Amino acid sequence: MLRSPRAERRLGWAWILLAPGLLWLTLLYLLPLLGLVPLSLSEPLSRFGLETRFSWRLANYADGLGTYGPVLLRSVAFAALSTALGLLLAYPLACAIRFRGGRWQPLLIGLVVLPSLTSYLVRAICWTSLLGDNGPVLGLVAALGLTELGNGLGLLRDGRLLNTPTAVVLGLTSTQLPFLVLPLVVALQRIDRRFLEAAADLHAGPWRRFRLVVWPLSRPGLASALLLSLIPAAGDVVNPLFLGGPNERMIANAIENLLLVQLQAPRAAALALVLMALTLVLMALSGVAVWLQLRRGGPDDLALP
Amino acid sequence: MRGFGSWLLALVSALAFALLYAPIVVMVLFSFNAPRGRFNLVWQGFTLANWRQPLADAALTQAFLTSLALALAAAVLAVLLGGLMALALERLRPRGSRAIGLLLALPLTNPEIVLATALFSLFVDLNLPRGPLTLLLSHSLFCLSYAALTLKARLAGFDPSLELAAQDLGATPLAAFRRVTLPLLVPGLLAASLLSFSLSFDDYVISSFTAGETVTLPLYLAGAFQREISPQIQVLSTLVLLVSGVLLVLATPLGPSGRRSN
Amino acid sequence: MTLHPPISGHPPVPGVRPTVPSRRRFLRQLGLAAAGSVLAPPLLQACRGQGGGTADPTSGGGGGGELVISSFPLYIDTDEPDAPGSVARFRADTGIQLRYLEDINDTRQFFARIQPQLAAGRPLSQDLLVLTSWLAQRLISLGWVEPLPLAEVPNAANLIPNLRNPSWDPKGRYSLPWQSGIAGIAYNIKATGRELTGVDDLFDPALKGRVSALLEMRDTMGLLMLADGQDISAPSWQAAQPSFDRLERARRDGQIRRFTGNDYQNDLLAGNLAACIGWSGDVAQLAQEEPDLRFLVPETGGVLWADVMVMPKGARHPQAAARWMNWVYEPVEAARIAAAVQYISPVQGVQEILARDPATAELASNPLMFPDAATQQRLRVFGPLSESEEARWEERFAAITEG
Repeated sequence: MLRSPRAERRLGWAWILLAPGLLWLTLLYLLPLLGLVPLSLSEPLSRFGLETRFSWRLANYADGLGTYGPVLLRSVAFAALSTALGLLLAYPLACAIRFRGGRWQPLLIGLVVLPSLTSYLVRAICWTSLLGDNGPVLGLVAALGLTELGNGLGLLRDGRLLNTPTAVVLGLTSTQLPFLVLPLVVALQRIDRRFLEAAADLHAGPWRRFRLVVWPLSRPGLASALLLSLIPAAGDVVNPLFLGGPNERMIANAIENLLLVQLQAPRAAALALVLMALTLVLMALSGVAVWLQLRRGGPDDLALP
Repeated sequence: MRGFGSWLLALVSALAFALLYAPIVVMVLFSFNAPRGRFNLVWQGFTLANWRQPLADAALTQAFLTSLALALAAAVLAVLLGGLMALALERLRPRGSRAIGLLLALPLTNPEIVLATALFSLFVDLNLPRGPLTLLLSHSLFCLSYAALTLKARLAGFDPSLELAAQDLGATPLAAFRRVTLPLLVPGLLAASLLSFSLSFDDYVISSFTAGETVTLPLYLAGAFQREISPQIQVLSTLVLLVSGVLLVLATPLGPSGRRSN
Repeated sequence: MTLHPPISGHPPVPGVRPTVPSRRRFLRQLGLAAAGSVLAPPLLQACRGQGGGTADPTSGGGGGGELVISSFPLYIDTDEPDAPGSVARFRADTGIQLRYLEDINDTRQFFARIQPQLAAGRPLSQDLLVLTSWLAQRLISLGWVEPLPLAEVPNAANLIPNLRNPSWDPKGRYSLPWQSGIAGIAYNIKATGRELTGVDDLFDPALKGRVSALLEMRDTMGLLMLADGQDISAPSWQAAQPSFDRLERARRDGQIRRFTGNDYQNDLLAGNLAACIGWSGDVAQLAQEEPDLRFLVPETGGVLWADVMVMPKGARHPQAAARWMNWVYEPVEAARIAAAVQYISPVQGVQEILARDPATAELASNPLMFPDAATQQRLRVFGPLSESEEARWEERFAAITEG
């Protein structure tokens, strides 16, 4: 392809502009990440020294998965639960903001984002106050007479909320909500309000309007929202630390423990890579889902009965 | 939408907001608490004393300032590097733009713990003592992707005809860029800076692996849970909330500065 | 994109801002200027990595002329409105610039923080570290500590005989005790509804989910093994298995709510815990706020531990460190510290000094601070573990605490 001298100069400029950032990414991200692979197959030379020796030590993976396999599954389960719960809350909220927000939309979006600008740890500490045995949430549950029901459903453990899976999922959901609402609002903004009006004119109730108009048209945004929520949730450290007990530990806690407490860098690297592989699989699955979606007839197809 | 659907929508939205703001309400409330002992976790009684002495916890204040300085430096670095990359990718479009775009997006898809482990082993291999330098390097790295992608999106939503119009009026490409595009980029730069700043300010996982003995605010708070939760923690956090709220309101007419804008 | 009003008669150009200063731009510039003037000093400070202020924990290079000590939090008497604390008084008395950092929370994580530097042969910024004895033992065996300048610490002769020459530092050259204490059972008598009698109470189903154990492995396992009738002065892996199993079962069943560091205190006060494994001095301090808190040294035995001062290799201010050690071993000063933290002081003569002052007389007869013969009978020290043994124990313990 022939390029004009001007175009050539522009390309030269491009690489100069890209160079520092690329250097940063390569040296601080790509190379260390790749370096985790040989590290995960190494063994430490001494317990308190830092040298390791590469020795194709697949046992790091076997041991890691053996000991922490359940923790990994638990992390995925918690992430899935909190994302599902988050979606149940985020979709209506996003619809309300988009279709009822009017000129308050930017402010409402800002209000959704604002909590995530406060310190994550302070929020977790405040959750422990809220969910404590003598705290207001349990007080409310008791006042409403729902304690037995909570126990029966497994949401409460003998009337306790703190240091239970419920508490961890609640904390995760609260953290992930903004990252679900935002992409959904953006996706919903692409839906012309008139489709909904047309559906209403055709005597479709609110649920059918959602199912036949909003849901199909917002699905592309949903994919990115899911990913943005699932992956950080699975790798969360703070919520299980403050709101969970030893039976609610998640994979990131385990990796931190392996590295900073047990001083086992190779095993920590192995677990970290397993986690990364898991997220790549998730992304690939969602990519496949989006591709299938587009093949079947994408967002332009309303799929009216 | 009327009637039951409308009511349900309002209810669920209220629940969502409740879940979002429950810890915030507790935080603001407890900033007015007079704790009995070392841990400001149980409501005792109302007082204004904490607000009269927001800096009473010296170690907290120091950690706060450290985080502030670090976040500022990381944001500047990230926006600088990321901005240059965004410009190159959006405007100049060299070959391999897509691959580079993918590389930029990759850190966003890893859980932080993976990044933290990689950085930890990198600094060990390089024999770099963990401290302010390694913190800055780490923070600027994960902010870089967010900043670059935010600016890339802003540039993409740009009308190139404005610059062309300026050039038609006699401006050189560089001058056109400087006097037309750059001022219009300010909201995007602001958004990218705020985003990077808040990400760095609140980072826990990566900091805990790369900070060495430097104490950032999140690291201080994690330790505080074990020794003393002074009411100043809630006071300072409420102040941060107020400042963020004000900034958000100021930035709103310029466009939402969402944390992960598509 | 808004249209701005035309300037001097030209038609509006979309997207181009007028050059007349707008209120928003002015506010923004003001804000940036203010932010810059506030943030520039700490930014420069953080970049240079130097200390400033009394509690600045950013790691420094030389920190010229400053004595730096790292210790556990709330392990020294603090400044009261009418009486300055030990750190302030030391600075005033000696003129030495002391930076006293309370940045050790979890001993193992602290080791992970200092390990890279010491392993690479680089000195730390600290001149003295107050460490749990097992970590001190590890540092000594790795050769990462300097011998203490005890020739300049005549008051070291005041060390109580029990704590002299531990097995892991037989000539007492590398370590000088800071405080000693007991790991036992802390409980809220209102929450338990009764007095507790031993470790078995932690496994009482009535207390299910309101019990915690310590992440400090030797304290938790020590108590459990003692309850199992084992000898912990020479802890054997085989002998530990039943206790490990018991702990694991309790964890899986939900008997144990959490494994904690110092944060069992939060939960005791907030009512989330009825009983837990805790430390004597902490509970003594807490009981002043919450009189329902009790501390029990079990009949089967409590674990006696000691935290010691060590000097990391390459410490830059050994003389200043010697002055500090000598100062805190002065019985009067030691008594002040003991009265505040309520642990077992390593300095002789403290009990008499406390007894003389009516304000602290009660402490002088506190068996947790000055164990009487009966209590001493029930105290045991957890013996040393070899490197490989320790790895095995830590791994099993981590599998239990980390799920």
